[in-house]
Amino acid sequence: MFNAIKFSIFTLILISMISSPLLAAKKGNGRKGKYLFRKNCRTCHIENGSAAVLSPNSKTQANWTKAFKKDVYSKLKCSAEWEKRKAKDLLDIYTYMHDHAFDSPSPAKCE
Amino acid sequence: MNKQYAMVIDSSKCVDCKGCMVACKFENEVPLGFSRNWIKVEEPDFSDPDWMSKKPSSHFQPGGCMHCSSPTCVEACPTGATFRDETNGTIRVDEELCIGCSSCVDACPYGARYKKAEAKIVDKCDFCASRRENDQEPACVDTCLTKARTFGDINDKTSTVYQLLNSESIVTVKNQKTDTQPNMYYISKTAPMNWTKPAEIPTPYRIWSKAANPLVMAFTGLNSLAVLAMLGRQFLDRKNKVQKESSNKGV
Amino acid sequence: MSERNESTLTRRSFIKWAGLSSAATVAGSGVNTPKLQASTTGSKKQKGSIQYAYSVCDMCMNKCGLIARVEDGIVKKLDPNPKFLKSRGMLCARGNAGIDRLYDPDRLKHPLLRVGKRGEGKWKQISWDEAYNLMAERFDKIAKKYTRCGVLFTPGSDMQSTFVHRFAEVFGSYNVTTHESNCLVSRNRAFLDTYGEVPFADLLNTNYVIMSGSNRFEALVTPDSTDLMTAKKRGCKIVVLDPRYTKTAALADEWFPIKPGTDMAFFLAVTHVIINENRFDAEYAKDKLFGLEELREHVQQYSPEWAEKECDISAKDIIRIARELSTAAPEAIIYPGRRSSDYTQSSQIRRSMAIVNALLGNWDRIGGLTATRQVGLSKPHLEEAPFYEDNPDDRVDVDRAPMMFEEEGSFKLIRDAVLEQKPYPVKGWFIYKFNPLQSAANRQKTIQMMAQMDFIVNVDITMSDTAYYSDLVLPSSSYLERTDPASGLQGSSACACVVTRDPVVKPLYESKPVFEILKTLSTKMDLGEYFDFTIEEYRKQQLKKLPNAEKILKEDGVYYNQSKLYGIYEGKIYKTKSKKIELMNTRYQEMGVDPMPVYHRPNMPKSNEFRIVVGRNAYFTHGSTSNYLHLNELMPENTLWMHPKSAAKLGIKEGDLVAVKSSVSEVELKVTFKFGIREDTVYMETGFGVLSKNLSTVQGKGACLVELLEDQSDALTGNMAMHETFVTVQRKGVV
Repeated sequence: MFNAIKFSIFTLILISMISSPLLAAKKGNGRKGKYLFRKNCRTCHIENGSAAVLSPNSKTQANWTKAFKKDVYSKLKCSAEWEKRKAKDLLDIYTYMHDHAFDSPSPAKCE
Repeated sequence: MNKQYAMVIDSSKCVDCKGCMVACKFENEVPLGFSRNWIKVEEPDFSDPDWMSKKPSSHFQPGGCMHCSSPTCVEACPTGATFRDETNGTIRVDEELCIGCSSCVDACPYGARYKKAEAKIVDKCDFCASRRENDQEPACVDTCLTKARTFGDINDKTSTVYQLLNSESIVTVKNQKTDTQPNMYYISKTAPMNWTKPAEIPTPYRIWSKAANPLVMAFTGLNSLAVLAMLGRQFLDRKNKVQKESSNKGV
Repeated sequence: MSERNESTLTRRSFIKWAGLSSAATVAGSGVNTPKLQASTTGSKKQKGSIQYAYSVCDMCMNKCGLIARVEDGIVKKLDPNPKFLKSRGMLCARGNAGIDRLYDPDRLKHPLLRVGKRGEGKWKQISWDEAYNLMAERFDKIAKKYTRCGVLFTPGSDMQSTFVHRFAEVFGSYNVTTHESNCLVSRNRAFLDTYGEVPFADLLNTNYVIMSGSNRFEALVTPDSTDLMTAKKRGCKIVVLDPRYTKTAALADEWFPIKPGTDMAFFLAVTHVIINENRFDAEYAKDKLFGLEELREHVQQYSPEWAEKECDISAKDIIRIARELSTAAPEAIIYPGRRSSDYTQSSQIRRSMAIVNALLGNWDRIGGLTATRQVGLSKPHLEEAPFYEDNPDDRVDVDRAPMMFEEEGSFKLIRDAVLEQKPYPVKGWFIYKFNPLQSAANRQKTIQMMAQMDFIVNVDITMSDTAYYSDLVLPSSSYLERTDPASGLQGSSACACVVTRDPVVKPLYESKPVFEILKTLSTKMDLGEYFDFTIEEYRKQQLKKLPNAEKILKEDGVYYNQSKLYGIYEGKIYKTKSKKIELMNTRYQEMGVDPMPVYHRPNMPKSNEFRIVVGRNAYFTHGSTSNYLHLNELMPENTLWMHPKSAAKLGIKEGDLVAVKSSVSEVELKVTFKFGIREDTVYMETGFGVLSKNLSTVQGKGACLVELLEDQSDALTGNMAMHETFVTVQRKGVV
């Protein structure tokens, strides 16, 4: 029985890892992501702001996918801000950035 | 030296956009339904069943009053309202002298004139006199999409028109029967060529113009003789007067 | 010199002498014209009653710089701004006729509220206050019942349209589209997916141009139209592929009456020749092009002999042109054109054109295709728009086409969605300077779409057909009466510049610019904080990075940024997945779309049918100018262009009235014989057959093209496809 429990826990962890929104194929709400990005991130990531200017088209789609992996963003200076966000919010922001990236079908620049 | 305003046009650049026509209408308040200028079109010979495969092309020819050096319109005008301005070679219409008889309209081989229905006087291109006074080119020249038209004084050796006339091969569009010596020059070639009509100057005016000069000259001549006679007589009388100091008799 | 002129005794001087005229001071001096101050510089100089003012034209989308001459407060003449490089110092027929727009007797003067049925033409004049309150109330009502996405916004091509986008954003609707999907979205798609951006053409410096459908000597684009003639005079060869003998065809070196819809076959065959005969720069291809080997394999099936059967251009000619083109390369261009609203394959057709350009190696260099130049305007930082949690996830046309531009969508697909009320209903519509009842295929469908709506607001300058069917019609100020934000213009090799507008005359009647309308409306809808600025403040922010721009704009009417023209991509990667120019597009592949264009023979008209095609001329801008007096007199009505042979077969004589019938509708108009059109094709101009009873000059004239057109669309982008409609033509009688 102990083995069963171990197995279940393992499976649950595995499932939760797989279903982590950032690795899943599930799509976030890009429009909400745009709003969240502008409200939370852009205040610093703007011209004359405290961080590098960022827009969706600042990176390629592949780069955004990388950036939104936990082991990557947790190393950023503003990782605390990232931690504050709900997983759903991060997915939404990611969707917005990815879908309008430099090499996306609809590259967008926040101006 | 007097000016001779003229236009030099590269009609191969014309795309028939009608910019010159509309610009002229606004600049010169030309009533709807009439125009001071035009674009003539020459199309391929569509009657040839193989025309499509023969590298067909069209030619667009912008034009307007040619401000001719031998203007039949001036010849036809009974009042002298239409006249040639010797200082710049333009053909002008004095609105106050025009009686709206429209003889000049028929007398122009190019159909460059029209009669204003309301004002009952004729109108035609004047090379945008008011714009020229403001150092601006005529509206049609200024507005042109491809700058096909060039305007200036062909008596001025430094002008673009003079240089074009002397460096390019030039043709004019003339009527075979009535060569009015147009001052609109086309670079290299233009088409269509045979759309003009012979000038129609009304017979009474022909007679009048042929007769007028001799009649007027005769009249003036007689008058002059009379005046000379009168002067001569006054002179003689004065002589006599001097001699007859105390004469009370007048002339 | 005639003897008459030498004689001192002309008729003229005789009359003078006889004292019949007091105007004896004639000979030589100007008659009664006032002496105008010799000045065309400076934004406003006054002498007596004459003033000059800068503006930029609004009669089409080119925005040519102009100088308005105002006499006693009336605009008398619009002249080109000689300092305006993009227009090469010209102002076309329409530009001159801007005065007709300003003083149009049919101009909308007051806010009007519909009182009868839609399209009945019964109106009640109301005050602006009433209009604002009504809009606030009705949009609020729709927002509550259908969410904010329940209101559709369609801003036209205008320098103030950015504020309509802004209002839509702060109001919270994702449903915003423009006229672009009735025009060139599919072209943009194709070139973006090849080059990573949409290029311009350096016609001035090129030596060989192929124009597929483009008609630059009539469909005027600056500087292209002027530059094309300059290039031609310099010896550039122009080849035109067009089912019609347009003025561009008439002035080209070669014109091929190509079978409509088969341009892809031609370009694939040209690709075949260029690749198989090694007529491209292999080094360049290795360095800059992605997918050459795949393309090589792909085009083997598309030989010139094969293409000849598809497009009606001989294999011999195709081979010859391919060779001439590649010899002239890299100063050789397949002209991208603009209006690509033709076939259901229009994106892929443009892909085949982009691919040939890529092989010519003409990208980012003189005489070729050029990239967007830096203009330098800043986007003012405005208050962040709110997010409305109850909104649906996305636009109403989402997923109806695989490659729509997100912020553009497709008018046709939106219309479908509104009619189906899926995925959710759209019940309100704010229309600005957009007239789909004259410009969008299948007019009846647009009328049905409007019938679905609870409330339609239309801001326009005349009672266009679309305004005629709206509920609340608001009078817009014309471009000559407005202050506008700054706008950046791409002039390819002519310039990159900034333009703006200040009023030439005060707004007439009760007209208002749409910015003012929306600013006021925003205060009525608790959105005032998002419009808390004036246009002047906005403009100042736009110009903040450009030194002296404000001053120079006032002095010259235009501001130039001498930014890089060629070699912009030197050392840079392309905004594509492969980071190179994509002959093969892998994203397409991933999406199940042909990564390289695959030819599918378009539908062809039956023997008793004709394909009806769409085009432009130099005096009309789509459906918006046919009512203006000085333009209308150039073409008072449209007629059906028909080849005399085709007409003879149907017993139709020149000038006959005919019934033209498509699968969606029927119209009547007269026939004009044209040898310069294929026998299987017919054509008519846009802008006639109006429904509006308040367009007095063009009323009752001609027929409406979009009434006839089926609403097919490009498979990739939803761009309207307006050349896929077949019609029958029947004689109705002599008029």
